[in-house]
Amino acid sequence: MQPATPLPNSLIVTAAALLLPLLAFGVIMLATRSRHRLSAAISIGAAGLSLLAAVYLLVQHWQMQAPLIFQAVWMVSGQMTIPIGILLDPISLSMFAVVAAISFLVQVYSLGYMAGDPGFGCYYGCMSLFAWAMLTLTVSSSLLQIYIFWELVGLASYLLIGFWFDKFSASEAGKKAFVMTRTGDVAFLLGLVLLWLQLGTLDIPVLTNPATVGAQLSPGMITLTALLIFGGIVGKSAQFPLLTWLPDAMEGPTPVSALLHSATMVAAGVYLFSRLFGFFSLSPTAMAVCLTIGTISMLLASTMAMVARDIKQVWAYSTISQLGFMLMGLGAGSLFAGAFHLITHAGFKALLFLCADVFIHHCGTNDMFEIGRQGGRRLKSAVVCTIIGAGALSGLPPLSGFFSKEMILGHLLDSGHPVAFLAAAVGAFLTTYYSFRLIFIILFPRDSGDAPPPESHDGHHHAGSEWPMTTVLWCLAGVTVVLGFFQTPLHDFLARAGTGFQAATPAHHSWLPVAACLLAAVAILQAWFEYGRKKARQIGWVEQIPFLADLFGQRWYLDRLYRYLLDTLVYRGVSRLFTANDRRVIDGALDGLGRSTIGLGRVIDWVHGGMIQYRLMIMVAAVIGLILFIGWGG
Amino acid sequence: MIVPLNHILLLSGLLFSLGMFCTLARRNLIMMLLGIEIMLNAAAVAFVGASLHWQQMEGQAIVIFILAVAATEVTIGLAAILVVYRRTDSVDPDMDAALWEKGGSR
Repeated sequence: MQPATPLPNSLIVTAAALLLPLLAFGVIMLATRSRHRLSAAISIGAAGLSLLAAVYLLVQHWQMQAPLIFQAVWMVSGQMTIPIGILLDPISLSMFAVVAAISFLVQVYSLGYMAGDPGFGCYYGCMSLFAWAMLTLTVSSSLLQIYIFWELVGLASYLLIGFWFDKFSASEAGKKAFVMTRTGDVAFLLGLVLLWLQLGTLDIPVLTNPATVGAQLSPGMITLTALLIFGGIVGKSAQFPLLTWLPDAMEGPTPVSALLHSATMVAAGVYLFSRLFGFFSLSPTAMAVCLTIGTISMLLASTMAMVARDIKQVWAYSTISQLGFMLMGLGAGSLFAGAFHLITHAGFKALLFLCADVFIHHCGTNDMFEIGRQGGRRLKSAVVCTIIGAGALSGLPPLSGFFSKEMILGHLLDSGHPVAFLAAAVGAFLTTYYSFRLIFIILFPRDSGDAPPPESHDGHHHAGSEWPMTTVLWCLAGVTVVLGFFQTPLHDFLARAGTGFQAATPAHHSWLPVAACLLAAVAILQAWFEYGRKKARQIGWVEQIPFLADLFGQRWYLDRLYRYLLDTLVYRGVSRLFTANDRRVIDGALDGLGRSTIGLGRVIDWVHGGMIQYRLMIMVAAVIGLILFIGWGG
Repeated sequence: MIVPLNHILLLSGLLFSLGMFCTLARRNLIMMLLGIEIMLNAAAVAFVGASLHWQQMEGQAIVIFILAVAATEVTIGLAAILVVYRRTDSVDPDMDAALWEKGGSR
């Protein structure tokens, strides 16, 4: 595909949309950090303008035929030329719009949530940094650029997770997230280096062109690099081996969880996959691995969510499982199904997190039983929005999740992965079950009589700043309800993404939606039976099997495993080696240098000293030596 | 000559070694001076023995020189030791610069 003639207009708009958040970050961090309202205004203004730009671009290029590429040379080193640029095509445009919209909404929402926090200005600075990094990531034209902003997003995430850094668990969680995603990024970087060595370019249009890549790379090499890059995706999107950082990341402020750890940042991994879909689809092995990893993560995370008591943790697990679901869709060979689910998921998961946030804000606890007991159901709009979001998450008919989930399920069935399809069905069942478990727990609390009504808590919260929160909730809920009906236009739009996009066949199994709805209905009924009805004991079937409850509650002992591996491999192996190296070689060399200098000084001092007899002795020794030498050597 | 030259040279070597040991090992300037004297006399003994053996008078003349040199050496050496003793209150050959300076300021 040829780059179209550059449209300066689009370039200017995109560049403005990218630079504004960076500018906001700089201004806030340098100048206005201590002036909270001004900082918030700057940051929200920048995000709002970015959103406007994104919408403008989307409208402008709705009928685009070929991707637009603007590239400039960033640095030249010998034979290497590293370009930096902007790539506008349907995938990046839609993701750009999603990121801009969610970050704008979440920033508005944070007005209410973060009000009165001492780090208010700093928080908005970090948010702007994140918005800048994420927006640039979506429109990057080369993998290297993506990698750079990928790491910047990780940095922003670290800063925001550990935002309340005086809380030990928060700073620990930030560290854990940083280290775990970095583990995947090492693989990503290796993949990039390999690709660079083989191809000499990291431009996405080149990489996704099957003809050029297939001609220059052997199939084994393609598989290897694809798997290495997939390692980065696994880290960033919290998939199977590296999934435990995401639930811990819920230590950050909840709007951050909504923005980073549900809608945008973790989706960067899936986005990268869809970006490089043409490349990945050249390697059947990589696609199979992707499908497997997606399936495993989805099932694991769903089971964990079934026993979680923390409302944010439930949604965090569900995020992991939905990301796994997207990867399944992509791995099964449908770019549109994965990308569509990515977009709808961004909407309803942000909605769910922000609702959870309203509950937490009012009840002062994360425990959903406690929230129910304190009368969380009296927060009307939050409850309604949670139900809408959970309905979308479970794939109930009129909501956006229904359409995207149906797409993925249909593709799994079409592409001949019956096991994956069954696993997806089980996963969908579990998803519905745990979503409605949460809702019923909040709606029908046991022994709610003696709890104080939530209104009493309103006194010390800023009742006046509630409106941003509810407005945003309703906006997102509206999007969630409506978005599903835009499936066809979106599909047409994304179909123009060019290479690597297989014409997605709409699910032609007429029984599938019915079956999925039935499944969801059964799951809801079961949740009702166990948590909703009057005499329910509110103990799930999982919790009645101690073994399973323990396994799920402990996150399948993944954390223990990591801790064990860390102890044995890193602390006892590598780190001991390095310590020994440090002590013996480096310290030893320096100490030796010092010691020998001192020794030399002592010798010289001794020679220069006033002790005349030593000099005499040396003289005598020299003379005796001379005599011996002459006597023998002649 | 009744005494063979070898014996005289042995005696001279022994004396020289004793003198050298005294010079090197004793921590006392006067004893070092004494050691030097003994070494000089060992050389003188060797000269006398050699002159006797070869019936040459120059050796004996050299011995007279040696005695003169020894006398001057002792005079100057003792004078120097006396100065050192006045300055540092000791006749230790391990003369510290600091000690020397301290003595000088007295």
